[in-house]
Amino acid sequence: MVGTASELLEVTILSIYVSGMATILGSAIGIPLGALIGLKEFGGKGAVKTITYTLYGFPPVLSGLFIYYIFSRAGPLGEFGILFTPTAMILAETLLVIPLVTGITITSVVEVDKAIKDTVKALGATPKQSVLTVMREAWVGLVMACMVGFGRVIAEVGAAYLVGGNIDGKTRVLTTAIMLETRMGHFEWAMALGAVLLTVALVVFFFLRMLQEKEML
Amino acid sequence: MMVAAVIAAALIVGGTVGYLLLKEDEPQTLKLATTTSTYDSGLLDYILPVFEEEHDCTVDVIAVGSGAAITLGQNGDVDVLLVHSPAAEITFVEAGYGESRSLVMYNNFVIVGPTEDPIDTMSSANASQAFQKIYDNGTAGNATFISRADASGTYTKELSIWATLGYNKTEVMAFPDSWYIQSGQGMGAVLDMAEEMDAYTLSDDATYYQRVSEDLIPNLNMTYSGDSALFNQYSVIPVNATMWTHVNHTLAMEFKNWLVSDDGQDLIASYERYDMQLFFPNAEGYVPSTESLPSIQTFGAVCATVPAVRTGR
Repeated sequence: MVGTASELLEVTILSIYVSGMATILGSAIGIPLGALIGLKEFGGKGAVKTITYTLYGFPPVLSGLFIYYIFSRAGPLGEFGILFTPTAMILAETLLVIPLVTGITITSVVEVDKAIKDTVKALGATPKQSVLTVMREAWVGLVMACMVGFGRVIAEVGAAYLVGGNIDGKTRVLTTAIMLETRMGHFEWAMALGAVLLTVALVVFFFLRMLQEKEML
Repeated sequence: MMVAAVIAAALIVGGTVGYLLLKEDEPQTLKLATTTSTYDSGLLDYILPVFEEEHDCTVDVIAVGSGAAITLGQNGDVDVLLVHSPAAEITFVEAGYGESRSLVMYNNFVIVGPTEDPIDTMSSANASQAFQKIYDNGTAGNATFISRADASGTYTKELSIWATLGYNKTEVMAFPDSWYIQSGQGMGAVLDMAEEMDAYTLSDDATYYQRVSEDLIPNLNMTYSGDSALFNQYSVIPVNATMWTHVNHTLAMEFKNWLVSDDGQDLIASYERYDMQLFFPNAEGYVPSTESLPSIQTFGAVCATVPAVRTGR
């Protein structure tokens, strides 16, 4: 149970660590993937987009089960022994971030590309230069993609509980702590933890907003 | 964009290094999969620090339903189980997943219902008769029953009582939802639902007392208890080390031996909450060293009929 200030701090830091890492990893994969799908012409593009958007609805517990079966001792990568560690939680959450970031990136770059394609071409940019220009112009959308990704995983409980195990002092994060308190009937305490979670989100989104406005750059 | 990439890279490297550094100086760990009742009742928080101190280790508790705990053991993801689903446990050990099954302690299941007990389960001669009353009144529209309807030890117990009335699992699952609600929820949530719906349910007493002591279920009462059929046995099962070579078998065996030792058993007996003893130790050969516990002999006889099964290995 999260009873003391130091426990609360520990749980909060782990929440930020797991969600932050998942957002960074998911974005590192999703942004290039989204740019590729958005800017390159290839057959079956519509189908790929549809699949990406469909995966917005990927159930977190399913992501957890998927990672569980891969990293269970009975699974193909069991010898790594990462089940019930924050690493496993990060991987499960990353799977949830990738489609969101990919999809939002696609939309952002396609819009920008439409608007500036001719100008960039008229100025004689090489393909590489034009891609970089598009990405720079799509900045607001790309940060938005990270925000949505972070928002999904900081609030996620199913996968975190399954592959993390909600181990006190090791893999307990805010959402699994909320679930535990709810299970115990401590609804007020659960809501208080929810307020902590939202406060964390507020700080992170404030930072991301500044990044979006390029005030930090 | 470069700045963002640098920040991201720094966070990844810093976070990972920090995590690995924290992980470095941890002593050896024992992964224990158990049911929510042992954890939520506070028992494990009471007894585990003593074991951790004595054996210089940490115990990672993964509190899930008995069904999920057994699956984790089957896949070799934990070192030891502390669960309460005898039939499934025996199958688990016979199939070679568990090293052995040793009785640890028991508490009791109770029938919980509206305080005024409108269908008078209170006067039942045994648990089966109480269930018969719930069935009769339920089908007549005068009572509601909420079932866990999951893979828990509690649901297994509920099914075993329906079985005494001639209803197998398929028939129970076909009970109409006009009176038989298959919730799929945890014990606490089911008690909360029963409170809202003036319904009956079967609960382990530890969870019931927790809800009562925190005044969360003012309209519910324990309406029937005491039948030895409502006995709730917990057992410890180290995961088989020949099947899963990576498990911390030495520590798992130490944990088992400690739980069933006089020290471990006395410690369990000394755990009190809500002004009462919640778990009654009954390991083989254990004799309560303190004041006599009246019910222990009766229940000891019952549990003796559930043999500890060993594999042939």
